Amino acid sequence: MSVIDIKGRHKSFGDLHVLKGIDLTVETGEVVVIIGPSGSGKSTLLRCLNFLEYPDSGDIRVNGALIDPKKTDLDKVRQHMGMVFQHFHLFPHRNVLHNITIGPINVKGLSPKKANSIARDLLDKVGLPDREKAWPSQLSGGQKQRVAIARALAMDPDIVLFDEVTSALDPELVSEVLQVIQDLAAQGMTMVMVTHEMGFAREVADRVIMMDDGGIIEQGTPEQVLDNPSEERTQAFLSQVL
Amino acid sequence: MTFLSVVQEHFWGFLRATGMTLQLTSVSLVLAVVIGLVFAFMKLSDNRLANLIANAYIGLTRGLPLIVQLMFLYFGISSIVVLSSFWAGTLALALHAGGYVAEIIRGAIQNIDRGQTEAARSIGMSRSKTMRLIILPQAFRRAIPSLGNQFIIGLKDSSLVAYLGVPELYSNAMTAAAANYKPLETYLVAGSYYLVLVVAFTFLVNKLEVKLSPHRQEASR
Repeated sequence: MSVIDIKGRHKSFGDLHVLKGIDLTVETGEVVVIIGPSGSGKSTLLRCLNFLEYPDSGDIRVNGALIDPKKTDLDKVRQHMGMVFQHFHLFPHRNVLHNITIGPINVKGLSPKKANSIARDLLDKVGLPDREKAWPSQLSGGQKQRVAIARALAMDPDIVLFDEVTSALDPELVSEVLQVIQDLAAQGMTMVMVTHEMGFAREVADRVIMMDDGGIIEQGTPEQVLDNPSEERTQAFLSQVL
Repeated sequence: MTFLSVVQEHFWGFLRATGMTLQLTSVSLVLAVVIGLVFAFMKLSDNRLANLIANAYIGLTRGLPLIVQLMFLYFGISSIVVLSSFWAGTLALALHAGGYVAEIIRGAIQNIDRGQTEAARSIGMSRSKTMRLIILPQAFRRAIPSLGNQFIIGLKDSSLVAYLGVPELYSNAMTAAAANYKPLETYLVAGSYYLVLVVAFTFLVNKLEVKLSPHRQEASR
């Protein structure tokens, strides 16, 4: 079954037409990696998936149900879609444990005890079992991003969206975050990632999508898109980043 | 030495008056924060009418001298309902400071990174929960220095309520000076009382700021 199914999606910011009719289906357990030059609409597409940006037109189905941004309870929809941001956006006034439990307790209504045990399991999973009392300001970038991933996972989402999650990290911290994502992929988590880590895309992606100028210009397995791109623009882009 | 004799002579009177000044200040500032929150949200809302009302309110309270507002309220309202001079003074101080507090809170809320809202919404939090659990706690912490500043101004502004006949510090000084023919010493004493209050209050605000910001404190260690 498809977790997300969008058709003919358009989005403009003023005169700037950022998404020009995107069709995209993400199947359960699939890892989709979106690549493309900056300004191509990758992040906007991702942010339209969980309605951080409202699309101007186009249909979106989440787990088969058609979403009408005006009528559907979007808070409910977002509960089932985790998102991890380039700049982490941890809550600086809450410690690590509370950053992870704040959603389960206040959105899902779990008991603090239950939420704490979920959070501790997740901190184990992302390799930070001893940092639950730390403040976000005391963590390195890589640690912050791993906590942010745990925060998204604590809601037990059907899908996780990753928006250039390693782009703000020092080079030596990138691998610890990618490792966590790779583990998630191995466990069958459905994911859509925007990334510039081509090597990583090759390893984890089931499908690579190349975007340019607000549209999907090519997609396929990593071998097809990254090694034998058929589009000239994909070739040009890859020659610049590889 | 006359300073000390004035202190001695009027010690209890000034102390009682200080109690009144503290009542005026604290009640009016609590009200000012409530008023400020309401108008800050009105100014941040998408509703044009709410914006207009908030802007008019802030414009008026910041644009008119406090003494004029005091008189308006005292004589204006007491022509409709009977209002004690204490409540007229407290309300006027609250409405006046409320305009400034509204701007302080609005600025603090707007200065919180948009990413905080997005992160909160991305885990399914509603708008109101995001505001209550994520934005306001951070905004308040950041607003504390400016709010503290506004509260110090409010404490000193409360002296104007003397003209409504509220027996607070300044009013007490006026009465005492008229009786003892030592205005210089008497106002010096009144001034010292204000100064002590302000210093004590500044100390408390600083303590509060540190206490409410454990994340910053530990980071700098």
